[in-house]
Amino acid sequence: MSFNARITMPAQAKAGEIVEIRVLTRHVMDRGGQSDGKGGTVPRKILNRLTATYAGEPIFRFDMHTGVSANPFVSFTTRAVATGDIVFEWREDGGATYTRTARLTVT
Amino acid sequence: MAKTGIALILALSVVVVPAGSALSEIKSGSEFLSPELRRQQADETRNPAFFWVEQGRELFSRRPAPDAQACIACHVDPQQKLRGAATRYPQVDAATGKLLNLEGRIEQCRVERQKQPAFGYESPELLSMTAYLASLSRGLPMQVKTDGAANPFFEAGRAFFERRQGQLNLSCQQCHDGLVGQKLRGDTISHGAGTGYPAYRLEWNDVGSLHRRLRACSLGVRATQFDYGSAEYLALELYLAGRAKGLPVETPGLRR
Repeated sequence: MSFNARITMPAQAKAGEIVEIRVLTRHVMDRGGQSDGKGGTVPRKILNRLTATYAGEPIFRFDMHTGVSANPFVSFTTRAVATGDIVFEWREDGGATYTRTARLTVT
Repeated sequence: MAKTGIALILALSVVVVPAGSALSEIKSGSEFLSPELRRQQADETRNPAFFWVEQGRELFSRRPAPDAQACIACHVDPQQKLRGAATRYPQVDAATGKLLNLEGRIEQCRVERQKQPAFGYESPELLSMTAYLASLSRGLPMQVKTDGAANPFFEAGRAFFERRQGQLNLSCQQCHDGLVGQKLRGDTISHGAGTGYPAYRLEWNDVGSLHRRLRACSLGVRATQFDYGSAEYLALELYLAGRAKGLPVETPGLRR
């Protein structure tokens, strides 16, 4: 349970409508630097980037640094243009990525 | 000069310990939050503590081991059957005569019935399970038993609450009855109702139990920090729950 995400947005929207997308993420966002008890330090391990694509087009990018709290929340808006998947991708220090998908139906 | 001194001491003691605190006026911890934080607590899309509730729901319905039963095998339909259960904790266990809070009951069930190793107090799993079970009682009024077998524990909790302790020589009551609504550092002093716990505290960046919060309080007055699940904190938890009788359960709460 080190990572989890809760994406809240309307399932449907009219063409041209502006929809709000809320993304709450579970992550400890460990900024590192603490002693590991063996003479070294714990490396930084945060989610450093969240990107969202809508029907293949990038619509949002959020670069995160150590000042961002644990379990970050972000909300943004986009214009509903066509029915398609909004794909959220988080990039974690160390190269791991997490993906979530939400579908927006445009009427 | 001496006279003024005595008068000053008298005046202070009146302010600090009001005669017969009115229990009906106990307010929830969220009443002391900003409106923005109160809205965030109520909003499942923005309150991070709901991740723990979600994890607890999963643990509840999953077999802990291939040969063990899931919680949900006995507690069918928890949304209905366990709604309100958390409002009656801490309670005295009829079989052993011990005071159990919700954490204690979960651990007891896990060890004795599921035959699994205990989660351990303050482990993410136990916090999740507690948050989930308490969240089933969201909005229902606290109604712990403080009479009968629970009475000695309740009185012990009251004695703890009223006893001065630590290097600062403060009792819980002096602040949480006498100075409620005033400022302590950047925060507002509350009545010490634990109805939102396990809660997500911004200071912790994490969900923690009521006992973790009590340990922070003990540290604040430079008094002995008792262990998680210790008899002292259990009795105090019962006293606080008794004081908060009638207040709605808010778990998972959001606190500063």
